[in-house]
Amino acid sequence: MSPWLQHTIFAVVAALAVIAALLVVTRRNPIYSALFLIIVFGSMSAIFLLLEADFLGFMQLLVYAGAIMVLYLFVIMLINPREGDLPEEGATSDRVFAGGTAALVFCLLWFTIHESKMLTDDPVIFPTLPSLGRSHGSTEAFGLELFHEHLLVFELVSVLILVGIVGAVHLSIRARKSAPEDSVELTSDSSPVDRSEDRAEDRAEDIDRAPRGSGNQEDVTRV
Amino acid sequence: MFSLTSCLYLSAFLFSVGVYGVLARRNILVILMSLELMLNAVNLAFVAFGRHFAVVDAVGEHRGQIFALMVIAVAAAEAAIGLSILLLIWRKWRTIDVRDLCRMSG
Repeated sequence: MSPWLQHTIFAVVAALAVIAALLVVTRRNPIYSALFLIIVFGSMSAIFLLLEADFLGFMQLLVYAGAIMVLYLFVIMLINPREGDLPEEGATSDRVFAGGTAALVFCLLWFTIHESKMLTDDPVIFPTLPSLGRSHGSTEAFGLELFHEHLLVFELVSVLILVGIVGAVHLSIRARKSAPEDSVELTSDSSPVDRSEDRAEDRAEDIDRAPRGSGNQEDVTRV
Repeated sequence: MFSLTSCLYLSAFLFSVGVYGVLARRNILVILMSLELMLNAVNLAFVAFGRHFAVVDAVGEHRGQIFALMVIAVAAAEAAIGLSILLLIWRKWRTIDVRDLCRMSG
C-alpha cells in the first residue's frame, strides 16, 4: 500500500473516530451512544489493520463491535428506558469540571508526546517491515508468539474470563430469585408469582416482566 | 500523517473523551461505554508502539498486540459483569442514574 493511501485512510478514519467518540459522550439516548461507539470500534479496527496488526484488527471487530456492543444493545433493549427514566444530565458546573479534567489529561498527554525525545529523534513515519516468511501481525506469527512466550498470561486471562462468566451467572440467578419478592413489595396490586410453577414458565414470566414493569408508571419505585 | 506520533495523539484524545464521559454523564450505560472508549484508546497506543518498535522474527515481536488482546479480554469481562450489575440495579430500583446509587446498602 502506498504511503499516500495510508495517510489518507488514516486521516479519514481518525476523523471519523474523533467525531463518533464526541457524539458517544454527548448523546442523551444510550441507543445513539451505543451505535456511535460501534463506529469508533470499527475505525479502531481499520487503524489496527493499517498498523499491520491483522489478527488484532479482526479480533477488535469480532469481540468489541460484535460481542460487547451486542451485549450493550441487548441490555438497553431489556431495560428499555423511557424518556422519564433517562437521568437528567448534570448542571453546567459538572460539565465544566469534567471538561476541565479531560482537557487537563489531554494537555498532559499531549505535552508528554510532544516533548518525548524518543519520538522526535526517530523518523516520523512507521518503519517498513521486511515481508519475508511469516509476516508481522498475521495469525500464525501472533499465535506462535502468544503460545510460546506468553502462555502464562494467556491462562491467567482465561481464568479471568471464567470469573466473569461465573460472576454474571451468579448475579442473574440472584436477581431471578429476588425479583418476585421485590415486585410483591413494590406493587401491591399485582399478584405474586406462583413459585410452584415449573422453571420454564418462571423464566418466561421473568422475561416479559421487564417491559410491562417499565411501562407502568406506578411501578416507579421510591429509591 | 500516519505516524506513531499521530496515533498517540489520537489515542490521547480518545482517552480524554472517555474521561469526560465518565465524569460528566449520569447514565450508567454511557459511563460503561466511556470506559470501553478509554480501554480502546490504550489499545491503540499499545499497538502503535508495538508496530513502531517491532523487530521482525525476534522474540517479543508482537508484545504490544498481545497486551492489547489481553486488554480486550479484560474489557469483555468488565462489560459482562458491569452490565449484569446494571440489570440487577434496574430490577431492584428502576433507575440508571448514578446519583440515585449513593447508599452503602439496600
